[in-house]
Amino acid sequence: MTNEEKYNKAFIESFRVDQDRLKGLKYQDINAWDSIGHMLLMTALEDEFGIELDIDDITDFSNYEEGKKILSKYDVNLNI
Amino acid sequence: MTNVDALSFDLKGIQECQQNRYPQLFVDSVVDVVPGVSASGFKNFTYNEWFFPSHFEDDPNVPGYIQIECLVQTFIMTFLCMDSYKGMKTNFVSINNAYFKRKIIPGDRLEIRATLDSLRRGIAKGSAESFVSEELTCSADFLITLPDVLETFKPRSK
Repeated sequence: MTNEEKYNKAFIESFRVDQDRLKGLKYQDINAWDSIGHMLLMTALEDEFGIELDIDDITDFSNYEEGKKILSKYDVNLNI
Repeated sequence: MTNVDALSFDLKGIQECQQNRYPQLFVDSVVDVVPGVSASGFKNFTYNEWFFPSHFEDDPNVPGYIQIECLVQTFIMTFLCMDSYKGMKTNFVSINNAYFKRKIIPGDRLEIRATLDSLRRGIAKGSAESFVSEELTCSADFLITLPDVLETFKPRSK
């Protein structure tokens, strides 16, 4: 599984959303991405990539694309 | 087995940790509390409980939702006993794998054993089981939030 597939899997399993819905997805666009869903997503990503997200990165993580930029700060390359 | 380093709470101590009050407080004492790890609770049921006359008149027994409250009110003591969370409100996110094995009737003393699996950023995950005379009565897995903690981690913008 590529890192991008792992990244998508965290969204799909945390929010029970289809993959074709992920591009452009923002916080509160869907019912499942509320404050609780956000924490479930953060935990899923931390577990998947073995990282610990800083609180500023957690509060800046407001959409699918922004999340990719944030993970790159933790040496998670989503192109592999 | 009693852990000598564990904490114990009477009714007053429980109410200092959590905000449930009569008639919605369903644990009388909590013992063997290892903060962040586990807790055991006790609830004594007598016919004076407000729900017995109506559930049911000819067969008084403890409603399922109250059994779940007994479990979760013991479970939340695993972290509400800690200074950083003491007195905070909690909300359910999910209740999974809930099983009811035995009827609880007036005169029964319920023992609850709860375990905290994780507590991260205001979301607590764990489970609890209850027993009467060592016979399993109810068990469930919980996901619980601390809204005041969760609030500090939500995205600043959409």
